[in-house]
Amino acid sequence: MKKNLKNIAVLVCICAVITVLLAATNAITAPLIEKNQNAAANEALLVVMPGAEGFETVDITAYSLPQTVTEAHKETSGRGYVVKLVTTGYGSDFVIMCGVSSDGVVTGAVCLSSNETLGKEKTYGENFKDKNADDVDAVDTLAGATKTTEAYKNAVKDALNTAVILGGGSVDIRTEEEILADNLNAALPAGEGKFQKHFFAEIVDGVDAVYTADNGAGYVCVIGDAFIGVNADGTAITADAVGADKAAAAVATIKATTLTDIDLTAYPTLANTVVSAKKTATGNFVVETKGAGYGIKGGNEYVPASGEYIIVKVSMTADGKIIDCLTVSQGETANLGDACKDEAFYGQFDGKTEADYTEIDAIAGATMTTDGYKQAIERAFAAVKVLNGGVK
Amino acid sequence: MSKNSNLSVLLNGIIKENPVLVLILGTCPTLATTGTVDGALGMGLAALAVLVCSNVFISLLRNVIPETMRIPCYIVIIAGFVTVVKMIVQAYLPDLYATLGVYLDLITVNCIILGRAEMFAGKNPVIRSALDGVGMGLGFTLSLVVMATIREVFGSGSFAGYEIPFMQEYTIAFLTKAPGGLLVYGLLIALIYVVTKGAFPKKKSFSCEGCPNASNCYTPNCAEKGVEN
Repeated sequence: MKKNLKNIAVLVCICAVITVLLAATNAITAPLIEKNQNAAANEALLVVMPGAEGFETVDITAYSLPQTVTEAHKETSGRGYVVKLVTTGYGSDFVIMCGVSSDGVVTGAVCLSSNETLGKEKTYGENFKDKNADDVDAVDTLAGATKTTEAYKNAVKDALNTAVILGGGSVDIRTEEEILADNLNAALPAGEGKFQKHFFAEIVDGVDAVYTADNGAGYVCVIGDAFIGVNADGTAITADAVGADKAAAAVATIKATTLTDIDLTAYPTLANTVVSAKKTATGNFVVETKGAGYGIKGGNEYVPASGEYIIVKVSMTADGKIIDCLTVSQGETANLGDACKDEAFYGQFDGKTEADYTEIDAIAGATMTTDGYKQAIERAFAAVKVLNGGVK
Repeated sequence: MSKNSNLSVLLNGIIKENPVLVLILGTCPTLATTGTVDGALGMGLAALAVLVCSNVFISLLRNVIPETMRIPCYIVIIAGFVTVVKMIVQAYLPDLYATLGVYLDLITVNCIILGRAEMFAGKNPVIRSALDGVGMGLGFTLSLVVMATIREVFGSGSFAGYEIPFMQEYTIAFLTKAPGGLLVYGLLIALIYVVTKGAFPKKKSFSCEGCPNASNCYTPNCAEKGVEN
């Protein structure tokens, strides 16, 4: 028993002495260690804001910032902010650090990590130095890396906006989709925020687009920059008499449109190219055709076809002028050929005829997809000729 | 120079009882930190500091520490000094701290240190224990630096971070990896054996007497402990 007590006492004493030693060492080294760690963390921040005295982290949850922002640091002497952003370029997890001075000028931008293909993004940030919000779009693009360039520019813009917001200012950080949704909702609150873009089967002059409320409350007509709500009974909600007339006329045309299905079994030559066909009372056609893009074995649909066609819905006058165009479905490469589902691409076909439909901007880096899409459009022209009394 | 002179205690660790190449102790940090000369030197000196401190401390307390409680006491002392060294390195040499990483903490369980505490410091006076710590630490450091020099020069084409122009073009990347380290380690052990003509350790037999640590063993004749040969 006595021996055990002695053992315990010795071990406790040794532990106590060691503890004192550790406490003393810690008291001396702790401030230095903390300083080292801060210096290491600040090193990356200093790269994009040379000459900064120090940084303190901003609680970004307290502000409404662009979604790409993951971290924000305020320079302690008030020079500006350093913002860390995670965005998606050609690949995901594209991490960018951007410094913005208090007067809204980029002090530096670097790419911390990325999954981009070319590796050019590593040094691209240098081009943004000393640029302000108006100059960013004019920065030279990276050849062959459209998506990387776009993502980088948007990230820098987000960083500039973030600096404005953190500095107490306000800036419109809504995405294009959010702006559209807000405009639609403002034009027709009864639509409760749920709208579908109307596919035109008839030519409607002077109106760029019509959105139909899902709940049947009415329509919103887009005329230039104006969004004009139209009630379900056809009366426009606007003080602008000209706009109201145009909108009411457009809605009247849409309401009057009736589509009749065409039985395709009567047209064997269209069996492999046309998915469905409809005709309006005024003699226009709405056809859905398929094109072999990259989704079909690299574009060759004949040996043996597998994969997914690009299905395109086209409305056309009987004499072959495209009224409206829409991508119904596609199986092209993500983040590349699948840009054919964006209105920025298919909207180019509106108003085209067989003579000039090929004069559109191709999708960068996706020649097969562009060619497949043009094939679908070409087949629509051919189909309308057949349906309009040509060879069956 | 008598066999038991202080100088011989100091020199023992460097060649005759070199902890890494003769006693084959501390293999893990040897393989892990010899990719670069900087790392090897840092590791060696950190271990040396812990070794000297713990040897001195344990030697001072050798009459106080009860026989049955010696391992827990040694470990507490060693871990304490390792933590002190770690905090000092972290504060004053942050680059080295980043290079050594977890291996700095693992000095605690480095068998050289516990081995010397058990074999030497636990039963020798303070001065001799300190000299043993210095000798063993230098032997450890020296072995690590030699091994790291071979691995870094031939594996990465540089020495202590400075690029060597010609070697840069003919690097053997294999040497920078763990298997390459093991290969260099084995060759160095063989070299020491050939150079010393197998004198160290003296292999009397494949029994306790043939053990390189026999001279330091608590009871020189293992048979007395009832251990069979």
